[in-house]
Parts: sequence; structure tokens; C-alpha cells
Amino acid sequence: MATLTVCPYCGTGCQILIDELDSSARVIGYSRSPVNEGKLCVKGYSGLTYNFSKERLRYPLVKREGKFTRISWEEALNEATTKLRSIVRDYGPDAVAFQSSAKCTNEENYLMQKMARLVGTNNIDHCARSCHSPTALGLIETLGAGAATGSISSLEDTKTFLIIGSNTTEQHPIIGAKVVTEVKKGKKLIVADPRRTQLAELADIHLQFRPGTDVALLNSIMYVIIRDGLQDTSFIDSRTSGFSAFRDEVMNYPPEKMEIITGIPPQMIEKAAHLIGSERPVAILYAMGITQHIHGTENVMDVSNLALLTGNIGKRGSGIFPLRGQNNVQGSSDMGALSEFYPGYVRYDSDKVDFFEKLWNSKLPRTRGLSLSEMFEAAADGKVKAIYLMGENPLITEASVTDVEKGIDSLDLFIVQDIFMTTTAGRAHIVLPATSSLEKEGTFTNTERRIQKVSRVYERPGEAMEDWWILNEMGKRLGIFKGYDSPRDVFEEIRAAVPGYSGATYENIFPLGKQWPINDENPEGTEILHTRSFPIGRARFVPTPYGDPSEVVDEEYNFIMTTGRNYFQWHSGTMSRRTDILDRESPEAYVEINVEDAKKLNIRNSSFVTVRSRHGSIRVKARVTERIMPGVVFVPFHFEEVRVNLLVGNQVDKISRIPEFKVVAVRLIP
Amino acid sequence: MITRVNEYVPNYTEVTESRKETRDVFTIATREKNAGIPGQFFMLSLPGVGEAPISVASGTGRNMEFTIRSIGKVTSKLENEKKIGIRGPYGNGWPWEEYDEILAIAGGIGIPPIRSLIQVIADKGEADKLEVLYGAKLPSDIVYRNEIDDWKRKIRFLLTVDNGDSTWNGRTGFVTSLIRESTVSRNAAAFVIGPPLMMKNSVLELVANGFSEDRIFLSLERRMECGIGVCGHCNLGEFYVCEDGPIFNYSKVKTQPELFL
Amino acid sequence: MINVLNAREMEDLFSRLRKDYETFGAVEENGEVVFDKISRFSEVSEKKSRYAPKEFLISRNENVLSTPDTTRKAVFGIKSCDLKGFYIMDKQILGKDPFYTAKRNNTLFVNFVCTEQCAGGFCSTFGGPLLEEYQIQVVRDGENYYVLSSDEFSKYLDGFKEADLSRVDEMMSKFKEMSPPLNVEGIENRIKWNSILWKNFASECISCGACNYSCPTCYCFDLYDRDDERLREWDSCILGGFTSTSAGNVRNSLDERLRQRFYHKFVYYKKSRGEYLCTGCNRCVDDCPVEIDIKEVITHDYQSE
Repeated sequence: MATLTVCPYCGTGCQILIDELDSSARVIGYSRSPVNEGKLCVKGYSGLTYNFSKERLRYPLVKREGKFTRISWEEALNEATTKLRSIVRDYGPDAVAFQSSAKCTNEENYLMQKMARLVGTNNIDHCARSCHSPTALGLIETLGAGAATGSISSLEDTKTFLIIGSNTTEQHPIIGAKVVTEVKKGKKLIVADPRRTQLAELADIHLQFRPGTDVALLNSIMYVIIRDGLQDTSFIDSRTSGFSAFRDEVMNYPPEKMEIITGIPPQMIEKAAHLIGSERPVAILYAMGITQHIHGTENVMDVSNLALLTGNIGKRGSGIFPLRGQNNVQGSSDMGALSEFYPGYVRYDSDKVDFFEKLWNSKLPRTRGLSLSEMFEAAADGKVKAIYLMGENPLITEASVTDVEKGIDSLDLFIVQDIFMTTTAGRAHIVLPATSSLEKEGTFTNTERRIQKVSRVYERPGEAMEDWWILNEMGKRLGIFKGYDSPRDVFEEIRAAVPGYSGATYENIFPLGKQWPINDENPEGTEILHTRSFPIGRARFVPTPYGDPSEVVDEEYNFIMTTGRNYFQWHSGTMSRRTDILDRESPEAYVEINVEDAKKLNIRNSSFVTVRSRHGSIRVKARVTERIMPGVVFVPFHFEEVRVNLLVGNQVDKISRIPEFKVVAVRLIP
Repeated sequence: MITRVNEYVPNYTEVTESRKETRDVFTIATREKNAGIPGQFFMLSLPGVGEAPISVASGTGRNMEFTIRSIGKVTSKLENEKKIGIRGPYGNGWPWEEYDEILAIAGGIGIPPIRSLIQVIADKGEADKLEVLYGAKLPSDIVYRNEIDDWKRKIRFLLTVDNGDSTWNGRTGFVTSLIRESTVSRNAAAFVIGPPLMMKNSVLELVANGFSEDRIFLSLERRMECGIGVCGHCNLGEFYVCEDGPIFNYSKVKTQPELFL
Repeated sequence: MINVLNAREMEDLFSRLRKDYETFGAVEENGEVVFDKISRFSEVSEKKSRYAPKEFLISRNENVLSTPDTTRKAVFGIKSCDLKGFYIMDKQILGKDPFYTAKRNNTLFVNFVCTEQCAGGFCSTFGGPLLEEYQIQVVRDGENYYVLSSDEFSKYLDGFKEADLSRVDEMMSKFKEMSPPLNVEGIENRIKWNSILWKNFASECISCGACNYSCPTCYCFDLYDRDDERLREWDSCILGGFTSTSAGNVRNSLDERLRQRFYHKFVYYKKSRGEYLCTGCNRCVDDCPVEIDIKEVITHDYQSE
């Protein structure tokens, strides 16, 4: 039996066939899938054995006297809901916060945000806050929709790729591979990244610019485009608004003046601008490299400015491609598991919330809820007394981790629902064992808006239950859910709640998925967005003046540390470190240091170095390399024994509230 | 060792002794008698931890002893375990019976298979055919320090360190520098074992001193997992180090570009 | 022995085999041809399967401390390129690995010989698609199924009409004409250690391991402990950890590892076991996300470098 489902790792959402021919299963890519065309990366092939780890949570647990004791589901659900009820009664609904999961299905995310809002609070958020909240907020502002404008297969029509802030062959390997195959056919590639990534090596132009100076870089490119008349005037005139104010701002950014900020010589900017201006269609791919900044939202809006300026939206082969990280972070955002958005990106303060009051038959909160980091701050301040968290590990993945710890330790009630006893789950009062993505049914939405069917492959371990079941039971006991029978049941409601999902059914999204919006006008889904108009009518140019990062590099903290991921491990490592091949390939933490810098500081390869910021320090093995630019170091965040997020401060982007993971001033001490 | 239906299932045996050799090197002894010949290795294992390929350090027929550097996930735990798994012997051994004279050259932690050789040759009463040159980085890195004096009484044994210290009265210099002092004839076989660079330089020095390439034998090391030539990790050219080696005739492998890595 | 059967007689042959073997075959599910349990010959797809079913010999994951499985299985519809790979692997593994040996000795492969070249395939380069070593081999010619059985299995063909190979030879000649073999002869001498090919491949390769996992002749595996089990799972020699030890790594860069893979296939195995470790199935090319083509290793002009 070969079961067709979706890979649980990254936002590419490769479709996989798990063939249990003998008791061990082979994983192959589904050759008919328009997403991955039968290909997979090493995580798909060899990364799923974590599912059978003996460390899987199998029973509900409650902490009594500092130790975890096994209890029944009945006891666990009753204790959790009774305590939640009393906190809401004594302190009000905003004393409770909900943290949903970008790894869980659309159905599960929908249930959790609904639960929060029916309890009476908009304190519902999840890790999308820390990765693509600038995309949601930025692109909704400029285009009216915060998602990739094209499809992965549409990249075959692209003439020029601009990749900024994405190490695509390591983070979205199948998409990166697609870019490689197109480049092999002669397409052009510009990579903007402080590290000499694999795609940078293949690029026609590698802009190795200083972290945090994205707006200066992009504005200087757009300066040249406008100066040399390479913009798409008819597109600007017919489809956009706000061009002149934007142009006035951009004309302050000649490349010669920007070199001191970005480190890029003007002639490279000229070259890049001419390529983008003339070799169309241009697709712009971006990821954390531009979003995880104090100016993350502005970075995204500036990317949008560039696409609009050159008319690279709405045509196949062109477009903006925010590469979503987790397997369902697009879906969890679409479902409204974000504190400022109801499902379908309805703002908390818009009158469209009336629709949900009718749909859910209840009055609903209209004040903005807390973001992920604000929840922990509020907990430390005693304002939030309870957090119900599903499928996240903020003690490893959040910025300013000491604040997260303080917050968690101040809670009266901390409920964690997960598949392993993560570092975060270890601090919980109640732990609810969930099933993995291979043990449930539902839907994921990948980075190209494709709603795909997730099918059960394996049986539940022990007494673990699906997240949707747990949420359903919690909701019933809280008196807010009437009770859903199945994920399909929940999906029916999602179709009513989210206009872009209205035409999708479990039948028509199988086997190949459908890209939203899928509705009466687009019964087969929509491959390319904004072909004729934008959801806001005309797209908006937004003038984005350059601002420095929040972290200041000075004599004491004289290096910029940028954090990130690598190909083999995945985020906090709860899955990837429990698989043999992946953990063998990347077994321990490291700090990438430029060869020249290492020589000056007398740091040898594999020797230990202390990396200290104004917020914390870690001791980690040095990896001396030519791939990173002088003055910059890179540390991955996969290793719980070396929590690099201890070094990241709590400064956030004022619009999207995303922390600045990508620019931290540090000092290296051999 | 008994052959069983499943070669992967080890015999579990009691560790009767564990003694320190240097700061990070230790020797363990077991009750089992060594069925292997000098140069061969066994897979030692600890359930739940893993396996490690270790050369046998004692002579055939004596109690099995292994001298191990504590450096990895498995080896760091073997020092203090009362019960370990053993399977083997695997690979081939030094062809000492084919030659009238043998010059053994060992570097650092490479010496255990030479100890096995010394014991077997001495047990056979043929000690005068063997000469041993041994070099360690520092005096504190010398393995089998208290046995060396005993060996010196039976065979010609030259000891050196790369760098001496205040306690050191002996020779200093690389072990390769001892080659020209060796008294074996140029028909002798040379058995070389140690870090790759040391082996490479020893071969150069041996050839420069008139030894013939087809009488030089190297003991090679690679990542080994199955020990029986099927998992692929120890592949070197057309050879698998675990089944065609670990002892290789230099003339057969000298064209391998990956030889001294 | 050579017999010619019609479709109904093939069902008959199938039932005879089903008495002694658990039957599996290539079947189409969701538009992909995978292997699954079958109960009728008509369920078997003639299309090229999505993967080489080497898990019939080497489990994807298994506990080596367990007892080797000796269940008798018959696999229908495996392609010649995949089966040939198994015969080539035998030379290294059969008799040494208890699990492979147990499975190999108890599995009957009934291969379907292609009469048309698949896209990208180059099996004629390695003597295919009609195999010289086989157990039961089937070549379909319209209504006629030519069944070649080795001595061990000819008893199952009792009573069926005997035939000669003339029609089969005709079809195979036509095959070779339409799909002439690449010149692989002497590749072990032509190939160059410092060829630019390795660095070129490495600049594109994303280290997914698909080439190893899809290949019917790749047999390498990783052994590791997990709790009370000693597990092994398919490994990939192009991954850095494949050769890492506490002393270092003999193949530190991707180009060195890619070179190792191709050298193992076209040089080392030829020297040690007398055969190229490739059958021309093209699965590594089909599954490679960046379209690295093994045929380039064979056809590249090393002399001009």
C-alpha cells in the first residue's frame, strides 16, 4: 500500500508516497505532483524515522511536585479545561494566550484560533510571527494578499531570478533545485546574501551585502532602474498607485552613496538593475534573510515595490515568492492563527468580524491580541496567567530566550501539546500527547498556496491523539464547541469561513492539491495571482526610507551574527535530531567564521569560541570558511545544547512584531 | 569466534580488567581467548550506544585485550563497562610467517596490532626475526610504557618521541628517522601502522633505504560499520578495508589517490 | 526452458506459483507504479515501476539483531534493469549478509522484459533488456507471452507449449537498433580523477541521496543503535557523514564524494567483481532534482580535458 501524503518538513510541501512494502517504509516523491515532480530532498527520503522514536509522547502527563505523572485523557482534559475556565473567570479572557502550530493542519489551526476567540481573546499567535509576519502584513498592504503570487512550476517561465535572503538549495531544496535546473538552461540568477551560498556560486551576480541593509540595496537598484528608464510605465500607470511619492524617496539612493552602507560597489548594482530591468519575467524569491529584521515589513514592501516597478506581477514566470518555512505556515496564517487576523486575513478591527460573529454565533473580541513574544512578556508581568501551546518549541526558537523562560516560569497554567518531550514541554504543567503529521488526516497549504490532502500513514502510538481531536475535546468541555466529527467536518466550516478556500473539497484537492483562491470564479484554483486586478484594486507603492538595524556594531561588539538553518537539521531539531542520517550529517552546533577573521583572532577550525552579545553568550565550535563575509558570523539554531537565541534581543519590528534574528552584534572570544 | 546464523549478533563477554595506558587511552581485557591473528580487528559494542572496530592487542590464544583511544560515542564508554559485545575477527593479519625478518614501525595509537604481533612471535620462539620502531608524540603518549622494557629484552626495540619533556632521557625525533638505524636486511618485510602522514613518510623513507615496495605492508583505517564488506563505508578503490585489509601490500595500493588520507 | 503462453495460461502459471509463494507485483496506484501484494496476474502493470524494488532484498530499515526473514515471495513485473542490478549486487553481498542472503534465496523474481526503450534508459549498454541470468523471464509479444525459465523454476512451466527464441531475438534486435548501446567499454581506463565533471556536478547537486536510493545496484547502509535495537538503513555515499571518523573525513567535499560514487560504479566494482555497477535503468536521472545525468560520465570526452 502506498499512501500519498505531504512531507512534514518545509513549506515546499513535496508530495510523498510512503510505500510500506515490508514493515519498513520507502519514501518516494510523487511523480505527478506539480510541486516536486517526484523529487525529494534528504529530509524527505531519510528524515521521517523520528516518527518511530521510543521518545514519542504516548500518554497525557501532569506535573505533580516537580515530576511528570501519567494520567488519563479524561483527567487531563478536565484538569486543563477547569483551570482555564477559572483563570478566565477570575482574570478575564485576555489572561489566557494560545500558541498554535505551523506544523499542524489547517483544521487544527482553525480550531485553535476559534477556541481563543470564543473564549474571548485575540491572544492567538504562532511561529509565523517569527518568520513571515512581515510578508502577511507587508504584502497585504501593498498588494492585498500576503502569499506567493505564482506557482513553483511557473518558475520554468522565469527569465531572471532574484533571490534575496534565502539559501534556497538548503532551506527549500526542491525549489532551489528548480532554480538550478533553470539556470542550467541559461536563465539568469542574481543572489543577494551575506554568505556565499550554493546558489550564489552559480549566480551571474552575487551581491554579498551587509546584513540589515536590504532597503538600501533594493532602493539603490530601483534608483538605477528609474534613472535609466527601465521601469514598466504602462503597468505602473494602469495597475498601481502612489508611484510619485515612492519615486521621490528612491531617488535619494544612488548606488555610489549606498556603497558605504551595503558594501556593494556601484557597478554591481548597475549590472543587477539592468538585468532585472531588461531580462523579464523576473521572479523574486525571498525568505528569513529579509523578514527577520527590525525593518522586516519594510523589506518586504520594498521587494513588492521592485516587482511593481518592473511590472513583474501577474504574468506567469514573474512574481514575488515568499518562501514559507514550515510545512503549513501558509495554512496556519490563512486560518487566522495570528493575533491581528481572523481567518482569511480579516483584521481584528474591521467590520468583517461581524461575519464571524454570525458564523460562530457569538460576540467576538475586537482588540488586538498579543504577539508571540508579547505573550511571554505579559506572562512575566503577570498579565497572562495561562498559555495553551501546540506544536512549538519557543524555548529554543524564540528570540530573547531568557525572557521566554521568565514568562513561562511565571504562568499559573502551561499546557503543551506535542509529539516529543521538547525543552518547552519539559516546563509544562500538563502535557498532551499528539500524533504526528503521518498519523492524521487533514490539509496543509504550501508556500505556493496549494491546499494539499494529508493522509494517515501510521497508527497512533500509545494513547496519543490527533491535535484536532484534543482541541475538539477541550472545546467541548469549555462549552464553546458543539463537537466536530472529523477533520473533514472542520474543513467544511473552513470553506465557509475563508473565501479563498470555499471551492476546495477533500475530493478535488486529491491527489494534486489546488492553489487558493479556489471558488466559483476559479473552480480549479488560481495559479497566478493579480493577473487582472489586485484585491485592493490598484497595488500600492510604499516609500521605504532606510533605517539601521536595532543592534549597533561597536568596538566591543564588533561582529554581526546572523542566525539561520542548515540543510540537514530542522528548526529546534525535535524531528531531525531523532533521525540517524540527518543527525549524523550535522551532529553539533558551529559558528561560521570568515577565514581572514579567524586568522586575525587566532581561531582554528573546530576549536571552541565564545560568542557573546549584549543579551547572552554561547560556547560553540568554529567552522572557518570562505563562504561568509568578513565581519559577519553565522550560527544555526538547531541545537538545544547551544541555544543561539539566548543572544538575540527582544527588539521587534514595530509593524509585524518580528524579532531581529538576522542582525545581532556580537563579540568573538577564542 | 563461533559463526552464527546472523553475523551481526555479537557474543557478550565480561570485561575482567580495565587499565589506563595514557590520558585518553586504556586497555580492557576479557575472559574470551583471542581467535584472531595479529592485524585483525573485532567489532566491540555496547547496546544502545553502538559499535566500534578495534584491532586485537593480544596474541592468538591469549585472553583478548583491546587498547582503545577514548574519542567517540562508543569508545568513550568502553573503559568502564563490565559487559561488552564482541563479534569477529574480521579482516586479514600481518603476513609475518612469510618472511624471515620483519621491521615493524608503529606511530602513536597504532601500536596495539604490533603488540599482538610481538606476543605471537615471542610465543612461537621466533623473537629474533622481529625489530620494532615505535614513536609517540610526547612521552605521556607512549602506550604500553611498562611493557616496553620487557620487550627490549626479547627483541630489538627502538623508542622515540616527537618532542621530549623534562622527564625524558630517551631519543627524540620522528619515528621515520629510526628507519636508517634498523639492522634488518633489505629483504625484510616492513609492517607500518600509524597516522596517515606517518605511514606516508615511513614508506618514503623505507623505499629510500632500499626496502622493496612489495615487502611493505600498511594497516589502513576507514570508517567501518559492518566489518564484513557489505555496508560500503570503508571502500578504498577496488578494496574494502574490512575484508581486503586492513593490512595491505603497499605495491597493490600505491596508485590509490585516497591512500594516505 | 522456453515456453509460449497466452493471458489465461499466465493466470494459470500465476496460480501455480501462488501455491508456493506470497505474490507481489507492480501495480498502478494514484498514477504511480508501485509494488504491492497481488492475487491475480492481470493486476500486474507492464509500465516501468516508480522505483527499483530492492527492499525485497535490502529492507529500508531493519534491526540486524533480529532473525532474517525467509518468507517465500514471488515478485511479478520487475523490470530487467532492476533485476540485473540484483545479480550484480549478489557478487558483493550474497552469502555475506544474512538478511540479503535469506531474502535472495527465498524470492522469485519474474521480470518483464521491455520491448521498447523507456525515456532516458540505456539498458542495452549493459547487455539488457533480455537477461542472461534470471529465474523466470517474460517477454510479451501481443497475445503471446514468451516465458524463459531457469532450471530451478522450469517445473512450474510443465505442460505449456514450448517455443524457440526466434521471435524474442527479433524483438531484441529491433530494441538494440532503436536504442543503441552507449560505448561504456573501457570507461574504467578513460575516466579521469581530476575531471571537471565532478566539480560541475557538485555545483548543482543538492545532496538529496535520490541517486543512491533509487539505484538497483546501490547497497550501502548505515548501522546505528537505538535503544535495544541495532538498526540499519539505506545510506548515501554522497553525504559527508558517510566517511567521517573521529580522525577526520577522507572525502570532505561534495565533488570528491560524487567522484567516489561514479568511480565505484565504473572503475572499482569492475576491478573487484568484474562488472559495472550500473544497469542503465536511468532512475538516478529521473529522480535527480537537478538533472545530473550518469550517461554524461560514460560519454564525456575525458581526453580533451
